[in-house]
Amino acid sequence: MELLTLLIVLLVALGAGLGVQWLAMCHQPMPTYPQRAPFLGGGLPETHAWNRYHVRYYPMTLLLIAFEMEMMFMYPWAVVYVEQGMKAVMEMGMFLAILSVGIVYGWREGVFKWQ
Amino acid sequence: MAVSWLSRLAARARVPVFPALGMHGDTILHRLALTPGIELVDSPRHASILLVAGGVPPDLHEALRRLHDQLPAPFATLWYRSSPLSELAGDLRVDDPEALPEALKRLHRELMSGRRDSSPRLLPDEPPNPWEGLGDDGHGGEGMMGGVPYGRPMAMNMHDDIRDGLTLDSLTVTLGPFLPVLPPGLGAKVTLQGDLVQSWVTQLAPYPIALENVFHEALQRPVPIAELELARARHHLQRLAFSLRLSGLEHLALVALRLSRGLNVESRVGRLHRRLTRCGFFRLTTAGRGRLEAGQARRVGGIAARAAGLEEDLRSRDAAYRRLGFTPVVQRGGDTNARWRQTLAEIDHSLQLAFRAEQEDLYSEMTEAVETPRGPWDDYRPEDASDILEDLLPGLEWDEALTTIASLDLAGVSEWPLEPLSETSLKDDEERQA
Repeated sequence: MELLTLLIVLLVALGAGLGVQWLAMCHQPMPTYPQRAPFLGGGLPETHAWNRYHVRYYPMTLLLIAFEMEMMFMYPWAVVYVEQGMKAVMEMGMFLAILSVGIVYGWREGVFKWQ
Repeated sequence: MAVSWLSRLAARARVPVFPALGMHGDTILHRLALTPGIELVDSPRHASILLVAGGVPPDLHEALRRLHDQLPAPFATLWYRSSPLSELAGDLRVDDPEALPEALKRLHRELMSGRRDSSPRLLPDEPPNPWEGLGDDGHGGEGMMGGVPYGRPMAMNMHDDIRDGLTLDSLTVTLGPFLPVLPPGLGAKVTLQGDLVQSWVTQLAPYPIALENVFHEALQRPVPIAELELARARHHLQRLAFSLRLSGLEHLALVALRLSRGLNVESRVGRLHRRLTRCGFFRLTTAGRGRLEAGQARRVGGIAARAAGLEEDLRSRDAAYRRLGFTPVVQRGGDTNARWRQTLAEIDHSLQLAFRAEQEDLYSEMTEAVETPRGPWDDYRPEDASDILEDLLPGLEWDEALTTIASLDLAGVSEWPLEPLSETSLKDDEERQA
């Protein structure tokens, strides 16, 4: 029953989305080629804007994942800590130390510098 | 039904105007920015009216046609102190600055209510290159990167990277002369690698700027120093407003414009300066970027020279200024940040000089030369220096490049003075705004 409801909701959402686009396309003629050109203040592009470029925040995202992994392990660890006590603290300390090396390395390489 | 209801709503909205600036067209823009009911937009895609303000030289007509055709229908074109293109000879032309806001609003209402047809398209509806049915898959492409898929060639790896050796595809585009983020009239061929400016070739120099008449008069006869200094402060405030709008600080841009409009000898910029510091404008303008060498700074002259530590100011040769204890304000650094600090310091300095000069009723004494806001004007008027961008911009990121251009006053000075707008209408606008 729940699956059927979900399916109906999905179909309605999809139908409404496509319907709105279809309605707009019915009333709107396709823009002309000069109108579709990128706006450059009267200038023209030589090539497509579709190109390969460097995502310069890439190392920062990797670092975010390192932090995220750390947090992911901490939730089950909190349960184990109640049973194991000091031993669990030592183990988590070692894990965090290894992760910190990665963060310190990233810092040295200038990962935190936004560009 | 629904459409007519929407049309009525659209007709009552603020008029989205995209300004295409011709010669001396920016003056009216400062006024329109403060006019209620008018919204100056940064892209033709958001506009329903193309306002061509000022005469457009014939060699830019083709660019103007391209711009005209980028507005979404329905749209109209209004020509302010400019001759319409031959294809649009029947378009509305307004020469009176006071009638312009009302003409824009009326045009918008007529357009939205369907009483006026949309402006015709001027360019043929053709792709930049024929592509349909051509190539391996009928989309114009050949192989991996060849051909003209959907009308344009693919970006290729043509230049070595100048930042960190990671060479990727470079994009080459022609920008301007109607790009609102550049000085009016400036056109350039720019190659970008991602957000990095790889090369910049200035193809069209910006239009010469018109200075207030008092600077022209100062070369003929002694003029009140207070008047001269207020005109200087107004020029700098208007440049500052342009840069603030570029930085996304539109509210502060309007504050600067309002200040420039009601400027008198008792005005002060301390409050504006503090607000700029608090909102991070000086940090936004990227300290250390766009640094001018001494030779370049001397060539640009004016604020750019003094921001680079050169104590060059013709006012120090004028006996009347010396009586006021004038010494040039200078900064060290010569970068974008130093130029804005210098601009704010000079506005403040000019207002103080104007206050004291008015109390003592002082007139300038040197008539063979005058220090204009753009730089020294002695035997020759300050000339266009936009070609220094070719050395200055490569290696900067796009936002740094734009803030650097905004911080430099590079256009030459026009031989014709600025035509003053009437004071009564300015006050009317201000009252309506209040």
